[in-house]
Amino acid sequence: MAMTNPSPSPRPAGGASLQVREATKRFGHVVALSRGDLPLANGEVHALVGSNGCGKSTLCKIIAGSVRPDSGTITLDGETVHFASPHDAEAAGVGIFYQELSLIPQRTVAQNLSLGREPRRGGFLVDRKAERQRAEALLALFEGVGGAGLTPHALVADLTVDQRQIVEILKVVAAEPRIMIFDEATAALDRDQTAVFFDLLRKWKGEGHSIVFITHRMDEIFAIADRITVMRDGVSVMTLDAEATSREEIVAGMVGETGQVRSAAHRTSGEMAAGESALEITDLRVGRVDGVTFTAHRGEIVGLGGLQGQGQSTLLRALFGALPWRDGRVSLDGVALRHRTPSAAMAHGFAYISGDRRRDGVFDIRPIFENAVAASLTAGRQPIVLRNRLIAQVSPVIDRLKLRFAGYGQPVGELSGGNQQKVVVARWLGIRPRVLLLDDPTKGIDLGAKADLYEELARLSAEGTVILLYSSEDAELLSVADRILVFNSGRIVRTLSGEEKTSHALTGAAFDTAAT
Amino acid sequence: MSASAETRDARTAPLASRVVRSPHVVALVIVVVLLALGEALSPGFASPQQIMALLVVAALLGIIAAGQTMVIIGGREGIDLSVGAMVSLGALIAGNIMDGQNAAIAQALVLVPVATFMVGLLNGVGVAFLRIPPLVMTLGMAGVIQGGLVVLSRGVPSGRSAPGFSGFLNDAFLFGLPGMLYVWLLVTIVMGLVLARTRFGLRVYAIGTNEQAARLTGAPVRLLRVLLFGLSGGFAGFGGVLVLGYTGTSFISVGDQYMLPSIIAVVIGGTALSGGRGGYLGTVAGAILLTVLQSILITLALPEFGRQMIFGATLLVLLLFYGRERRLQA
Amino acid sequence: MSRPAVGGAAVLSSLRRQTWVLAAIVFVVLFAVNAILQPRLLEPAVMTTTLQTALPLILIAIGQTYVVLAGDIDLSVGSIVSLVNVSVVTLFMAWGDGPLGILGAMAAGIAIGVACGVANGIAVAVLRFQPIVATFATAIVIAGIALWVLPQAGGQAPTPYWRTYMGGLAGIGVVVWITLAALAFVLVFQRSRFYAQLMAVGGQRQAAYQSGLPVMGHRIRAYALSGLFAGLTALCLTAETASGDPLSGQALTLQSVTAVVLGGTALAGGIGGAVGSMIGAVVLILIRNLIFFARLPFEVQALVEGLIILAVLAGGVLMTRRAAR
Repeated sequence: MAMTNPSPSPRPAGGASLQVREATKRFGHVVALSRGDLPLANGEVHALVGSNGCGKSTLCKIIAGSVRPDSGTITLDGETVHFASPHDAEAAGVGIFYQELSLIPQRTVAQNLSLGREPRRGGFLVDRKAERQRAEALLALFEGVGGAGLTPHALVADLTVDQRQIVEILKVVAAEPRIMIFDEATAALDRDQTAVFFDLLRKWKGEGHSIVFITHRMDEIFAIADRITVMRDGVSVMTLDAEATSREEIVAGMVGETGQVRSAAHRTSGEMAAGESALEITDLRVGRVDGVTFTAHRGEIVGLGGLQGQGQSTLLRALFGALPWRDGRVSLDGVALRHRTPSAAMAHGFAYISGDRRRDGVFDIRPIFENAVAASLTAGRQPIVLRNRLIAQVSPVIDRLKLRFAGYGQPVGELSGGNQQKVVVARWLGIRPRVLLLDDPTKGIDLGAKADLYEELARLSAEGTVILLYSSEDAELLSVADRILVFNSGRIVRTLSGEEKTSHALTGAAFDTAAT
Repeated sequence: MSASAETRDARTAPLASRVVRSPHVVALVIVVVLLALGEALSPGFASPQQIMALLVVAALLGIIAAGQTMVIIGGREGIDLSVGAMVSLGALIAGNIMDGQNAAIAQALVLVPVATFMVGLLNGVGVAFLRIPPLVMTLGMAGVIQGGLVVLSRGVPSGRSAPGFSGFLNDAFLFGLPGMLYVWLLVTIVMGLVLARTRFGLRVYAIGTNEQAARLTGAPVRLLRVLLFGLSGGFAGFGGVLVLGYTGTSFISVGDQYMLPSIIAVVIGGTALSGGRGGYLGTVAGAILLTVLQSILITLALPEFGRQMIFGATLLVLLLFYGRERRLQA
Repeated sequence: MSRPAVGGAAVLSSLRRQTWVLAAIVFVVLFAVNAILQPRLLEPAVMTTTLQTALPLILIAIGQTYVVLAGDIDLSVGSIVSLVNVSVVTLFMAWGDGPLGILGAMAAGIAIGVACGVANGIAVAVLRFQPIVATFATAIVIAGIALWVLPQAGGQAPTPYWRTYMGGLAGIGVVVWITLAALAFVLVFQRSRFYAQLMAVGGQRQAAYQSGLPVMGHRIRAYALSGLFAGLTALCLTAETASGDPLSGQALTLQSVTAVVLGGTALAGGIGGAVGSMIGAVVLILIRNLIFFARLPFEVQALVEGLIILAVLAGGVLMTRRAAR
């Protein structure tokens, strides 16, 4: 993604427009923030970076008024303020972007954009025409890149993910806030949309708005930010000028030591082709996936790359029986399969780990025990719960993943996000799968935990498990996968192996259009 | 016993989690207080015979509410408004099968719950496969069953319980305790084991907490829901047989008085309507609490309106501890 | 997929999104069948009488709709009706027959309904009680209060009051005017800002909160509306029976939920509307009518009614699912 570097902006005159000092917050037993600072100056784009669990989202929610800090101060233009609700923060001029969490699916784009600020007619009625016009004016900001279907009358439920994200961005803008917070606002946007968005950010900055920008993409930070605040483990570690710092310094601040993520040991791809072919997929069609063919070999880690939403997740879920296929053939060790349910897939030794643990993985109010043995219960086919036997299946994995917990009776919701994901991973590895389908499994896991997981994957691979790994993080794919199948629009457009596995090639391939 | 019983809800309102450790303990404390109050107001209220009589009545409610408990734990706004009608249906059919014959007791005890189980399965199919909200489905089904009761009861008399059966339930059976209490004890043990020690039980909690995640672990979600409603019907029918045994005969709407209390007993026992948590012990405590409360109100010889107002107000107070939902902030 | 801009196709596509369509179709079918079995139904006087029977359910269903749209439910509406009924009758007897007395009692009745609604709203939105159980509990308390006000059915509503209600105005029955007024309110209210925000609150409460909407306040207002309409329902019932009965509203609660679901409003909130509920209420009355005039054997009437209702309920749910996609 080529981002033009902005010309250095003049340091704003006058004091900071928003200061958060020493904010703390705990949720039950979990300390989300132990010292959150954010000095946001007038008319700047301020990047907030850190690994997951570092507290940046909590800090933003405090500024936006949807979370009340246990202690700490917020100063707006020099005056101390308290936000008791999002309403207060909005009234003070703060606007925050939430990942789709503030759209009403059953309402139209125009209705969502005017939510809470509906134009009036006759005192208490909604002026529908004005509502539509307002929507049109806002949508025009993303003209040309929004795609067909992004109209004022469209129901949000009918929009694609990137379109919803655009609507969410516009919703923030519609309120004309003085301070804007964008938390991973580019996650679902394509390159053109992101470029338009950055142009808008620069324009708004020039007009005097102050912007907090959270992203997990390093190149975006250097493309748009004036200053950067790095957070780690609930603490704001440092604030740097973008021009005066480097990638390494930022990563060091996030990780806490100049440690690289250890890549899993893997064999070169030449040896891989010699391994037995295990999982054969021929012309599979399901949802977005439009004719995918490849073979995965025993002990191979096959990476699924490409931009988000190109069919990788769909493929994995279909292989697991969670989505019905239209067409195609799948066979494992020569045996043709057609899983219609997850339990059928599990009976053939398939396991599926999702990165969206809140939706797909975790039973948050249940104890760790129930979370950890959920798959074993199915695989074991025992109607009676034999507690010790079930724990024995998962505890080795839990130990290897270095999960720290109070006991199997502890509610899993008390663990941090990364640790919750470890429980989910242990759940699936505990059934000793023959085929492991990984759908962005390390989303939300800190670097240390990721390394533990990669080790585990290497072990499994060496034992002969077939592993399909989709990751939204290029670096992870490049270091873990033996071979990378790059997806675009539901098809594999390129296969990268050996020397070809570079981020340059990966990014390039991700934008290749599929040969018809 | 169960991990589920020990699960502390990290999201309970702060007040509750500071004051309260587990719902059934608090409920039982309140029961003791009420008993003391009752004894003070009306000596003999808390005598052993009286307490036993109260427990027998509570047992009826508790057993009927066993299936309701599971339906509610299963989540997705699970609720069964047809239990009252099923109780009536159970009592009617049992009365006809038994008709005063001791020899027919076993027959009734088997056939009736099976029959109401199957009717309950229909509820489950509507909820799980047609995705009709449980409130709507069971409400509609209740109407159908009640209509069916009219048809059935025209053709046949309401029947009688067998003397051996009624005797077993009401008279001292073992150690001076009536058979009804032993039945309840059995049900309690079975429920506890099922919910905590069977794959089925764990899966019920799973689908009540996160249905999507449960599906991805291979749980047959729809079948489980169908089964839950079947069990609710089954327990209600079984409860109907017991009601018949307790009173000797029955009438067409004998079950109506159990519908609402069955839900309340479950909720004040700590099982949230949102699903995924709670257990049968809570329902046991809730049933006892409700029964004692109703009994005290009658003992106080308050006029009807006073009883109702206090009953409703007490419920609201109890809900302060167990019926609350999460704050939207944080 | 954007909607076609003009013409019949636009109307059709807009109709397909409307949740009350099924109820309307069922209504037409039932009306036709009813008319066949009971030709007198088409006479204005008989239609008016039918509407009179339906009006309490229509009004209560409207109020329930707003609570359900907000994502909650109000199971105390029947009790509120009972309370307002007995209160109004008692006030009638205390304040006499004059217009001031009558209007005063009516106003007091409405106020009581709204007060009950607000109490419900506080229990659910402020104290965060679960709606089903909380409104069950308040229903018991309110029913108790009704019993206290009037322990046994009795009392007498003033003649001018019920005469007016049963009578006509400009050749059309008063009940028809009331129904039309209710419909007008529903249609205008649908376009209000509050309504738009209410739909958001019910559609995705968390998102509405994060958008800065006063979720708590709106939920309370919805319950207040429900209480208001319960009060109006009671005023109609009082006129119909011309007396008070502490149990008068009992059956209405579950019937109101049935009418709302029938009319295409989703119990989950955010989808549907009061127009559908009005149609749903009439459909329920027509079903009962149908059973009666079909001269089915007495024993099976309840069963057949139950089956039809279950079938239509299922249909209503399927309709809302299609609208929600």
